[in-house]
Amino acid sequence: MCQKMIQQFLKEAVMNRQSILGTFAVAVLFSVVFTSCKKEEHQYHTVIDKIEAESQNYQGTSISSDQYLSEINLIEITEGDHTFLIPERKSQIKSFECNECHSKPIEELKGEGHGQKAHWDLTLIHANKSTMNCATCHDGSNMDELKSLTGVKIDFNNSYNLCSQCHSKELDDWKGGAHGKRMESWAPPRASLTCVDCHNPHDPSFDSRWPSRFNTQTEEERK
Amino acid sequence: MSNTKKWFSLNLRNTKTANNDSCGCGKTSGACDSSTNQHNLSDADFDAAVDTSIADETPKDGFGQVFDVQMDRRSAFKKLTASLLIGAGAVSTSCSVIADDDAKEKAQIDWEEQFKGNYKLMTNDEKSATVDRLVRSYQIRTGKTISMSSKNAEEDVLFGYAFNISKCQGYMDCVNACIEENNQDRNSEMQYIRIHEMKDGKGLNFREADDNYYHEVPAEGHFYMGTQCFHCDNPPCVEVCPVQATWREEDGLVVVDYDWCVGCRYCMAACPYDGRRFNWSKPEVPEKEVNHNQHYLGNRLRKKGVMEKCTFCVQRSRAGQNPACVEACPTGARIFGNLLDPESTIRWVLENKKVFRLKEDLGTEPKFWYFMD
Repeated sequence: MCQKMIQQFLKEAVMNRQSILGTFAVAVLFSVVFTSCKKEEHQYHTVIDKIEAESQNYQGTSISSDQYLSEINLIEITEGDHTFLIPERKSQIKSFECNECHSKPIEELKGEGHGQKAHWDLTLIHANKSTMNCATCHDGSNMDELKSLTGVKIDFNNSYNLCSQCHSKELDDWKGGAHGKRMESWAPPRASLTCVDCHNPHDPSFDSRWPSRFNTQTEEERK
Repeated sequence: MSNTKKWFSLNLRNTKTANNDSCGCGKTSGACDSSTNQHNLSDADFDAAVDTSIADETPKDGFGQVFDVQMDRRSAFKKLTASLLIGAGAVSTSCSVIADDDAKEKAQIDWEEQFKGNYKLMTNDEKSATVDRLVRSYQIRTGKTISMSSKNAEEDVLFGYAFNISKCQGYMDCVNACIEENNQDRNSEMQYIRIHEMKDGKGLNFREADDNYYHEVPAEGHFYMGTQCFHCDNPPCVEVCPVQATWREEDGLVVVDYDWCVGCRYCMAACPYDGRRFNWSKPEVPEKEVNHNQHYLGNRLRKKGVMEKCTFCVQRSRAGQNPACVEACPTGARIFGNLLDPESTIRWVLENKKVFRLKEDLGTEPKFWYFMD
């Protein structure tokens, strides 16, 4: 369009004026039109085009999440194509290691008549009773580690492997970043919270509660 | 200058040959257009017209921006009066033998702030100078020290946002975090974020949605959808601003220079997403609640009669942190990141989830996507 217009204008100008000044004016006009048509804001049709084009030679930025993560105890995991950091878990569990009390299998401990000393208030509100009980995840003979459905040991730090046995869709989303939550920073290296940082494994759904804000001004204005 | 006009008039009687060819750049104002309207001018007039249109693009310093413009008598007198008042104040304090050094310094700062230019056109030195003045002025007035940044957009960064409408539970923790982070007016209870409670099965019906609910959430049969400034890549609010007080930065943030804004609220009317807020009264934030980590384009304290809006927490995001709403969300419904980084989580969401934006057909190109699990 631009070129067509300029050509037409050139023709007109040359026929009508034929003066040096006229040609000069056309030259100035040409440069103005040319530069304004190439304005960067109109370079791309959609923002997706822009993202695709401009990320082609992405070399990284100077912004890093390191300064925000240095105080946090993190471990690196690799799941499929994704490598990222998750919070270390075992140091956060109260009274870990478990075998300090659970020195014997549960059945034997029960037989000794110790009664209920800790976490006796735990109730499992996760799936139904025919699907899950304590032994679905915990190994009664080795309380320091978790176990998969087929009895393979799973470290408490990597408990997401346990959840992902059923919640495979959530695992995919979490690995990619659509489920769960980034810690502190959008910049690389990526650190994400793991399942148990938001969900209580014994009662994983979110509670209903009152919103933390009510705008009285808006209410007033809408009366 | 016989018929040099900066505006466009309809030629209904078709007295001159109409030139329907428009420029392909899609720009309806400025140089592209002037070529079609002005080619019947005399050469000298034409050169003068070109000069004026080019002059619009060349950066001017603060004095140039204030004085080197055409204005009518009324606005000239207005500007002169305001400036004279400040000038008179400055002169009287600086010449006074009773005024203390702080008052003199304050008058000096006020003087320089009055005549500073548009932040968009400032050099880095000018930016840090105005930020230093604002920090010092706050210190003189309140005795408190704030930190204010003038950090520019980083290269190879384009900020984008994704919102998971299956995850949001309507707790509104994001709204609270936003208000505290961004020093929003507590008096008028301004909030950049709105959470709309929508009825299941009614689609995205904003007319029937409630954005000021107060009952236990999530409510049965409802879902929640947050809106705020979408930082459009083709922002209509920027187009309409008569003084260029709002613009899109290189990293995609649409920002406002609160000191250049004249408060006409054109941008508020132009925004199809209700993303902009106006300070009808003097914004008030209790001194002990003021967030001292500020950015010139972000959460620094505003004044009466200027526009403001979400900046994706420019003071945080340009430093590498997540915006306050993202950090506060307990459900992980909010995802923020660099759209130009192919390895970023926001890119994964865009490429792997079924994302959509509001009013996509307007061509505003918001950088704020919604998705579902």
